[in-house]
Amino acid sequence: MITTQTQMSENACPSCGATTESAHFCTACGRIQPVSKGSDYFGFFGLPRRLRLDEVELEKSFYALSRQFHPDYFMNSSAEEQKASIDRSSMLNDAYRTLRDRVGRAKYLLSLYGYKEAEKRAPADLLEEVFELNLHIEELKAAKKMADEDEVAEARSALKEALQGLDHKLEKIDDRLLELFDEWDRVAGEAVSEEQKKPVLDRMSELLSHRSYIHNLVRDINEEL
Amino acid sequence: MPVIELSMTGRPKSGRVVGIDLGTTNSLVAFMGPGGPEVIRDEEGNALVPSIVYFDNTEHQLLVGEEARDRLITEPRRAIYSVKRFMGKGSSDVQEDLGMVPFQVAPGSEHVIRFQMGERVFTPPEISAFILRDLRERASKFFGEEVTQAVITVPAYFNDAQRQATKDAGHIAGLDVLRIVNEPTAASLAYGIDKRDEALVAVYDLGGGTFDISILKLKDGIFEVLSTNGDTHLGGDDIDNELISVVIGEIETRSGSKLDRDPSAFQTIRKAVIAAKHALSNSESATVSIDLGPALGGVYRREVTREEFESHIEKFVERTLDPCRKALKDANLEPAQIDEVVMVGGSTRVPLVVRKVKELFKREPHVELNPDEVVALGAAIQADVLSGGRRDLLLLDVTPLSLGIETLGGAVAKIIGRNSTIPASRAEMFTTWVDNQTGIDVHVVQGERELVQDCRSLARFTLKGIAPQPAGLPRIEVRFLIDANGILTVSARDVRTGREQSIEVKPSYGLTDEQIEKMLIDSIKFAEQDMTQRQVIEARNEAETVMRAAEKALAERGDQLIGESERAAIRTALAELRGATAGEDHRLIREKINQLDDASRHLAEEIMDGAVLAALKDRKASEVAEG
Repeated sequence: MITTQTQMSENACPSCGATTESAHFCTACGRIQPVSKGSDYFGFFGLPRRLRLDEVELEKSFYALSRQFHPDYFMNSSAEEQKASIDRSSMLNDAYRTLRDRVGRAKYLLSLYGYKEAEKRAPADLLEEVFELNLHIEELKAAKKMADEDEVAEARSALKEALQGLDHKLEKIDDRLLELFDEWDRVAGEAVSEEQKKPVLDRMSELLSHRSYIHNLVRDINEEL
Repeated sequence: MPVIELSMTGRPKSGRVVGIDLGTTNSLVAFMGPGGPEVIRDEEGNALVPSIVYFDNTEHQLLVGEEARDRLITEPRRAIYSVKRFMGKGSSDVQEDLGMVPFQVAPGSEHVIRFQMGERVFTPPEISAFILRDLRERASKFFGEEVTQAVITVPAYFNDAQRQATKDAGHIAGLDVLRIVNEPTAASLAYGIDKRDEALVAVYDLGGGTFDISILKLKDGIFEVLSTNGDTHLGGDDIDNELISVVIGEIETRSGSKLDRDPSAFQTIRKAVIAAKHALSNSESATVSIDLGPALGGVYRREVTREEFESHIEKFVERTLDPCRKALKDANLEPAQIDEVVMVGGSTRVPLVVRKVKELFKREPHVELNPDEVVALGAAIQADVLSGGRRDLLLLDVTPLSLGIETLGGAVAKIIGRNSTIPASRAEMFTTWVDNQTGIDVHVVQGERELVQDCRSLARFTLKGIAPQPAGLPRIEVRFLIDANGILTVSARDVRTGREQSIEVKPSYGLTDEQIEKMLIDSIKFAEQDMTQRQVIEARNEAETVMRAAEKALAERGDQLIGESERAAIRTALAELRGATAGEDHRLIREKINQLDDASRHLAEEIMDGAVLAALKDRKASEVAEG
């Protein structure tokens, strides 16, 4: 289940003082360890920083680790262990929630490399359509205000048609995102410098900002409909 | 909302943990028995304690449950019911609720509702504590040892302030609340769905005052809440209130005069309507019959068919279906994908509810267990897990509402999304806006809306004692942690120095730690005074009964059935018991009751034997007569 690159903790176990090589539990005394500073979500699951991951395996790891960390099992332990259990459980829950969703996973990876969440930007090839869409939304609003049923119906069907186009665009972006995942996994697997990883990350960041833009647009249209 | 939870060390390693369902209408306590979870009943066999508290300061009388319910009619201004609706709320939150109950709100109720009960003022956690103490007493009596640890259930939809208020109530009642568990989650534990390898479960919980729908996923012994939804203002009380307003309308039309919220008439009508509602779960029609007295036109009597009943309540049942659809949507599921539907709460006995739920999920819902007991049974199972009894089962709950902080312009930045598995945490970085600023104000809210004004304020806190530096240079990391009970704790750290940052937290709703401590002391004082007095009265009453029976037996049959030495022993025991009842020591009275019992046992047995013979003789005589 846990494959490679387990995060090594250099801290001594607070319970027995032994230097432990396992991140979660002391190899000497078996007690739960406090969360070490700077450990990331991939490392927490014992995973390399790859974007194509087996979601079924991830879920299994999540359940297995939940069984090890959950505060329910530390009710009678020392205050230190109880705190470690809460910290580990909450980190596990946060890590799982982030990694199981591929967009969340990609955004998280970007944040690890210092990317800030990008402004939601309209893709250049979509500007014209966005323009038209906003027009339709305004028309619909006006028609609703006038309570003109024919106008409302007309504007509504125009928007619905446009929605289908946007859904199609989202699908294409998701396909492209998966291609970038493969590219990243290949680059990350090679012994290249951080500089060489940058172009893939740049493209991913841009793609995600387009994606959120369209996503918000679809949400706004649905609200108006 | 404490910044630092009290240390958990020093708790005894063993000890029984009970499961408590602190309900809007009824409360009950359960434990893990050798054969599975069991509810704890009183001497009459009742598991349910009506969540009603009656208080009379002049008489030093505090009544909980059935006894308090009786006082609802005679002295409604001294009794409080449905207090769960008011947990963790300020007066502005509950205007609508206050319109439907005859309670008096004391001044100064902005942050915590304060109810006037006669001469005293009580907050909802204190009222709930009286109920919890009654349950605790019941459990302690049952086990013959002091029960101090409990798991308490809450609706899945409860926010931080409501969960904290529930925990506070436990604390005031002298209970260490090991875990706050969501009611629907507990219910699916009770149904033993954990025995399945894998299942998607919908728990439909329509209780007295709250409606909850939860979608759970079970896999390999782990229960995961995928989504929750509901309505904190929907339940059997709404059904009752609807019927009450129908009846009141009819009475007013008939008599031509206003009832004017006459509290005792209101309670009489309430009782009659509830009785009719219960009857309609099993029969096609029922009669509402109320004696209103001559001023209001005498007896009001009316036939209600199930069809008419359903037409009045359909809108409430319909209102439960939208949250169901939303919860399914949040879990990314279609109704048909649900494997099991579990029914919880007394209101699910209403046939229309079962029908509607079946229609939505296209599946026959589980109704095998008593819907009033299901949650407490599940809480007992969770209590067993926490006391270290088993490790095959794990409950993963979610937080029902998003947690956010106020940003510039009154907008909300979400930091922990709703339906996140708990415990959940998030660290946020804060800095200063002007040079040499030494404090930063942070406002924490809970809710799904974009603007602070539309969300619920949880707390405001100030990061204090920041060293004077140019604007934007200080880096204070604030960690928000929602623990496994769904309760928020906040801690802060100066990133540069690594030092803990001091925080001053002002909860927007709820009680401060000092207030709780004071209540704890108050309730102990009450409890002692109250309990001792009650125990003496009860013991005296029992003594009177026992003495009367012994005297009568001795006078009528003593000479025939037993010898002089036994008669003398009974007379001595009687005299000693009589002496004890003059004092205030209830233990001594009990002891003397037992001695009299022992002394008169032989006589009683002889009388019983005689009675059996006499009965046989009578029967023969009557058989002869009939033959």
